[in-house]
Amino acid sequence: MVLRAQTTNIYLLVPIALLAVLLGTAVIRGPSLVSPAGAGSAIIVAAPLILATYSLMVLAVAGRGTIDLAVGPLLAFINVVVVKLSTSGILVSPIATFIVALGLGMLYQLAFALVVIYVRVQPIIVSLSGFLALTGINLVILKRPGGIAPPFMQDWGLGTTIFSPVLLILVLATVGWYLFTATTFYSNLKMTGYDERAAWTSGVKTDVVRIGAHLIAGIYVGLGAICYTALISSGDPTQGQNMTLTAVTALVLGGVALSGGRGGATGALLGAISLWLIGYVLATFNFGAIQAFITQMIYGLILVGSLLLTLLVPFIGRYVSFVSPWSMFLIFGFVVVGIMLQVATIDLYNEAGGVAANLPLAERYFLLEPARIDSEGSGLSPIQGLALLTCVAAISFTVAARLMDQKIHQRRMGLFQYLFIAALMLAFFIAVALRASGWSMVGGYG
Amino acid sequence: MADHSSNNVPSQKQDNTISLANVLPIPRSRIVLWVNIALSLIVATIGFGVGFGEGILSAQQIILFGIISALLLFLLLNYVATIFDARSAIERAETEAQKDDRQRQTKVAWRNNRIMALAMISLLILYLLLTASIEEFRSIKNLIAFLVLELILLFAFKVSGYFASGRSAFIGLIVLGALIVISSFSIEGFLSAPNVRAILLFAAFLGIASVGQTLVALLGGLDLSIPFVIGSANIALLSLISAGVPSYVAFGFVLVLGGAVGFLNGVMSYKLQGQALIVTLGTGFAVAGFTQIMTSIGSAFAGNVFGTVPGWLSNLAAMNGRFLGMKIPPTIIIWLVIAIVMIVGLRMTAWGRNLYALGGNRGAARLLGISELKYWVACYVISGVFAALTGSLLLGWSGGAFIGVGDPYLFTTLAAVVIGGTSLLGGNGGYGFTVIGVLVLQVLTSFLLGIGLQYEWQQFIFGLLILPMVALYGRSPHIRATV
Repeated sequence: MVLRAQTTNIYLLVPIALLAVLLGTAVIRGPSLVSPAGAGSAIIVAAPLILATYSLMVLAVAGRGTIDLAVGPLLAFINVVVVKLSTSGILVSPIATFIVALGLGMLYQLAFALVVIYVRVQPIIVSLSGFLALTGINLVILKRPGGIAPPFMQDWGLGTTIFSPVLLILVLATVGWYLFTATTFYSNLKMTGYDERAAWTSGVKTDVVRIGAHLIAGIYVGLGAICYTALISSGDPTQGQNMTLTAVTALVLGGVALSGGRGGATGALLGAISLWLIGYVLATFNFGAIQAFITQMIYGLILVGSLLLTLLVPFIGRYVSFVSPWSMFLIFGFVVVGIMLQVATIDLYNEAGGVAANLPLAERYFLLEPARIDSEGSGLSPIQGLALLTCVAAISFTVAARLMDQKIHQRRMGLFQYLFIAALMLAFFIAVALRASGWSMVGGYG
Repeated sequence: MADHSSNNVPSQKQDNTISLANVLPIPRSRIVLWVNIALSLIVATIGFGVGFGEGILSAQQIILFGIISALLLFLLLNYVATIFDARSAIERAETEAQKDDRQRQTKVAWRNNRIMALAMISLLILYLLLTASIEEFRSIKNLIAFLVLELILLFAFKVSGYFASGRSAFIGLIVLGALIVISSFSIEGFLSAPNVRAILLFAAFLGIASVGQTLVALLGGLDLSIPFVIGSANIALLSLISAGVPSYVAFGFVLVLGGAVGFLNGVMSYKLQGQALIVTLGTGFAVAGFTQIMTSIGSAFAGNVFGTVPGWLSNLAAMNGRFLGMKIPPTIIIWLVIAIVMIVGLRMTAWGRNLYALGGNRGAARLLGISELKYWVACYVISGVFAALTGSLLLGWSGGAFIGVGDPYLFTTLAAVVIGGTSLLGGNGGYGFTVIGVLVLQVLTSFLLGIGLQYEWQQFIFGLLILPMVALYGRSPHIRATV
């Protein structure tokens, strides 16, 4: 017997790995990301996309293949209406703005739900219809980008600090979702999405559940529109289609099943951040005139690639089922945080001087030069060394514990264990060899 | 059952009226009679006043028409009054059971016709509102168009019940007819040769682009890579031609490339069942980016391709193109041929029937020995080839390459398929339906342009049109019915 731990979350493996790779690259390529201003503006730029993805995620969980293609135009619609009202001086107070934004989002989604329930047209057709109608009406309300955002959100979009109202909205939205998952309504929602017939027969009021899901999605779209308005400080009727396409992409990157019943804020968040990071990383490369095309192509390739990777997930899961998403998260988290620390403290090393370990390749592709290694061993301070050791110990402990927990039920050893032990032995030999040549890895601790 | 009951009621009524009022209908009550006379006289007086006030007709004519209208009105009022008399007499005579029965019949008749009644009333209200609010709207043409629309609506509801399978096509045709009638009434020169040619030409582009979408939808998939393939084919063809490749070879090569993209789409979306929307979107992004990079290499103006379009290609698709000396752009003929081949092919050949079988029930089709993978991939390949063909033809039409030329086709192909009546769940529909959907969309565009609405209003109306069209024929069963 094999204990299948955490199999429900296994789909998170791909997004976590993707996010770790992207975040590591992003931090190396564009070190300004780890400064307060960089992180602050990153949050503000990514917030509308994240909230739009949340909205899509709720509807995707509700099943019937609901992909709200109209999410982008709806976001733009709320943005345009708020800006129009604010420009004409009607909408000033924050409370009124929130009521208008959330109300419009919820009204649209309520209409969507009622059409799906009572007219019984496939959701994708309703959303297609909404997409076309809203795209048109946006341009009617506001001919071209312009207008003024409500005065109270003028300084929201500056992005000079991490702790901005936009971050508060994001945190509230995310925490709200996790609180929501504790309710019975959420389990009914998941059941409805997974198998509507079964849910209906077992007494779940699927219509009420669906309306509820749509209302929640409407709230998220409204919040996303507010963040978007704060970001651009004006109205833009033209970005609906792009927003839809990126949000749907983010949804899939986050491993949310479009067939319903599976998904959560974690996946959606990871997907949206990954998508934003792809853009960020690509922007740090200078491709000259073909920048936009490369970005577009990489978007497409990563989208298809991550989908193909999800095909491999059950296969991977069979062989390395002791790696849960959370241990993955731990491992990648340590690695990425290490990179971030390294980048954030690079100035210290530069001041210290030393012999540069210059490599032509690294010079060409890294914006930063690699850490300078002191002639007397590495430049790690005792605290850093301790932190590194702690990380390695935590990772090894997690993997070893999961491995034991997993393999204690098995008679035979799998391929992975051989590889693992081989890698350990190799590491041991290398360490011994290095010792012999008089090179200490971690000064004083090696 | 329903038809029986609605037929019975008027025949009964007629019998009674004829027996009661022999030649001249006279109501029983004296008061009613006097009220009728008074009403007729008042109307006649108003008529005289208006007639003399206008001063167009001569006095004799006014008096003649006044007397005739007063008499007619008097007869009509009396006739109505006698009918009410007769009905109250019957009501008094009949028993409780009969009364119940009659009430139920009325209820059934209402239930059967309520959608039609509501639709007609809402149309009337819309017309009255428009007439009241817009000065230019008050014309005799619009009145006729409105009456024709009401008649078509009545006809559509009364006849469509007899269509079991082709109901969506029927409704589409009715809408198309209504649109053409209204447009030709309200727009000057709508049915002129240049306008018809323009409508057909754009319909041909959309129609060719929708071939693949229809096939894929028949299997239950989606292809969102079409617009990107169109744009890529557009710029790739011109850049190949300006690189010195013979134009026919380049044309064929672009079609092959389109097919290759379709093949990739097909294989991957087959492996990732249910994710066709995302897979094709991703391939679309990648292909569009890749083509732009390839065409930009060595060019100072990234993203723009300059060159001259060969004469045969512009003749193929330009508005003033000629086919065998006739002033028809050959693209329209190409579309016609494709449409015929598609419709006949889907209906008559084993390949077409198998496609429907697969779309309807995969498990059953597999047991029949139909290879699902083969058909799935083949449909996507066809979709890619036709998208590339559309892109190449659009190059001939515009004379300059532009990646964004496909963007309007992102959801329009889907809208054409859906409005035509092909189900996105697979197994239902066909290319004939899509042709109707394409024509509806194009005629509507032309109409909206003609009455001066901008692109954004067209989008809005397209969006609102899809829902009621699909609601008329594409409703899924209630969950109660599926358990």
